[in-house]
Amino acid sequence: MKVLLTGAGGFLGRCVAHSLLEAGVDDLRLHFRGAPPGNLLDALRRRHPDARIEASAANLLYACDLPALVNGVECIVHAAAGMRGSAADMFANTVVGTRNLLDAAAVEGVRRVVMVGSFSVYRTEGLARGAVHDESVPIEAVGIEKGAYAHAKTRQEHLLAEYRARFGFETVVLRPGVIYGPGGGAFSSRVGIRAMGLFFSLGRGAELPLTYVENCADAVARATLHGVDGRAYNVVDDDLPSCGQYLRGYQARVGRLRVLPVPYWLFLLGARCLVRYHRVSKGQLPAVFTPYVVRSMYRPLRHSNAALKALGWRQRVPTQAGLARTFQALSGTPP
Amino acid sequence: MRVGIVGCGKIADGHAEQLRAIGRAQLVAACDREPLMAEQFSQRWGGLAQYADMAEMVLAERLDVVHVATPPDSHVALACSALEMGCHVFVEKPFAMDGAGARRIIDCANAVGRKVGVNYLYNFETPALELGRLLADGDLGEVVHVETCYGYNLAGDYGIAVMSDPAHWVHRLPGKLFHNVIDHVLAKVVPMLAEPVVVWADARRMRPASGDAVVDAMPDELRLLLRDRDGRTVSVMVGSHARPIGHAMKVYGTRDTVELDYAARTLVRSARQDQPSAVGRLFPAWVQAWRFARCGMRNLGAFGRHEFHYFQCMRVLLDRFYDAIEGRGDDPVPQAEILRVAAIIDGIVDALAPRP
Repeated sequence: MKVLLTGAGGFLGRCVAHSLLEAGVDDLRLHFRGAPPGNLLDALRRRHPDARIEASAANLLYACDLPALVNGVECIVHAAAGMRGSAADMFANTVVGTRNLLDAAAVEGVRRVVMVGSFSVYRTEGLARGAVHDESVPIEAVGIEKGAYAHAKTRQEHLLAEYRARFGFETVVLRPGVIYGPGGGAFSSRVGIRAMGLFFSLGRGAELPLTYVENCADAVARATLHGVDGRAYNVVDDDLPSCGQYLRGYQARVGRLRVLPVPYWLFLLGARCLVRYHRVSKGQLPAVFTPYVVRSMYRPLRHSNAALKALGWRQRVPTQAGLARTFQALSGTPP
Repeated sequence: MRVGIVGCGKIADGHAEQLRAIGRAQLVAACDREPLMAEQFSQRWGGLAQYADMAEMVLAERLDVVHVATPPDSHVALACSALEMGCHVFVEKPFAMDGAGARRIIDCANAVGRKVGVNYLYNFETPALELGRLLADGDLGEVVHVETCYGYNLAGDYGIAVMSDPAHWVHRLPGKLFHNVIDHVLAKVVPMLAEPVVVWADARRMRPASGDAVVDAMPDELRLLLRDRDGRTVSVMVGSHARPIGHAMKVYGTRDTVELDYAARTLVRSARQDQPSAVGRLFPAWVQAWRFARCGMRNLGAFGRHEFHYFQCMRVLLDRFYDAIEGRGDDPVPQAEILRVAAIIDGIVDALAPRP
């Protein structure tokens, strides 16, 4: 089976390439927006000398480039997405790119599409404290209240569903929580944010839905080969720490921060004030935290990876080892 | 007034936000050739009507004003079309690809009796308005020379988009990267210069080669020297490598010199050594510190009055543009200045063109 992996140069994409080959994919086309990073291709070819590995450069925003990208492909693993920039940029690079890819896939007769989605698409506002967050939680209708990234990722999922209905693709969606690892960022906004020389600790006792980048990549590969058509899978590791535990680990292994703990009730109150100020001041400060965002993302929940485990996925890098490697990389000390 | 925006990219959000803030007009529709982009913009701005064709939007929504926020090579056609359909038009910079295009839009606006504006926003920053008053009152005397710098962060979101995409519209501009920002620089200095203006320009690429011919053809450092009829000069640095990314201007006059930092929103008179000997060198730093402190206090006051938005200058500019539409003021950016900016850009492009 010839598999196309989009976004192969990204933080997750590089690991997914390795995991797909480890899982037995022997004909892999890697998509990069520009040139492949560093020695990625050489490393893959050295470790998998019997596999056919191609590199293909294309900007998913240009539909005319995509027939060649998907030509001869049976399965697409779509990991490319807009992770930064303005709301419009993120939407274009996530949703318009996906639409173009799916259009080309439909014409070329691609059978299966595996998409890397996001936890941010879930409508978690109504969950009770301590409730289990699994795949039965419905996804947002639009997602705009949760910011530009959630808006784009939500639309991307709805788009995939539309194309599945129109063209009969087999589809599988992976919804990772917070992907972390060496080369990634230090803090998810679920843990907190830095501002004015302080670190505002927001998540505190809430469970942090981490997935180590290699574990997440394994999950993508597993779902590519064995995922049930039409299903979505949450991707989180076992033994998840709380946001506060992650922060304490960071402080112990990487560096001290001037931490200001923000209790949930105060955060909610602050979000209400921020929205009010945003309105009164006609946008002088952006309403990045709204009560809806706080209730959706910062309420303590438990996270389940049971569906992924039922698929045969096992966590390769234990959470303690993943955290140790990540903190070591963040501290700049050699492994 | 009923307003529609054509082009639903990043800058369209700035237009929408400031339109909402001034409360003078109702944003009712959005248009983009890419329906998904019109959809996302419409959703984020409260359910606007969505179109893929500007003429259809103007007719169906009975628009009074169209904001054009598309890539620059479409400005002339879109602006003229909207003007001919009876709309006033506010155009994102660069106004047109060249002077001839700028002239076509302005001639069209004059022929149909509609207003045309351009987003030369930095002249409407609070300290820039203060500078305008100082110049008008003669506080600086005669302008002798102007220095200005404009930084361009190639490692920022926009820079990365340009650098990673040889098909990005910035590469199609005659002046490439600089064409996208140079009118911000020129719009600030043109009112201080008398015609004709002689242009000397030098551009080069300082970053390492990427291997892509289109991307590598784009210079990232530009130096300009302008000289007007009366011998006033302007030196300009547009650069991607100096840190921190700057956006400032220093105006040297026969009576006084001032320095305007657009990023920090400060305007201070330059230090003057009024006392003799070493003592004379003791005071200026304290005098300057006091002047900056006053700027800081003024900015704090503006923040308290909700007049310190990131795009505050655009808010002022749009307010004045809508005043002009309603017959309550002149064009905030005079047509003659738009044409002079375009002519100087033509001169820069010409100066930078490869010679046989």
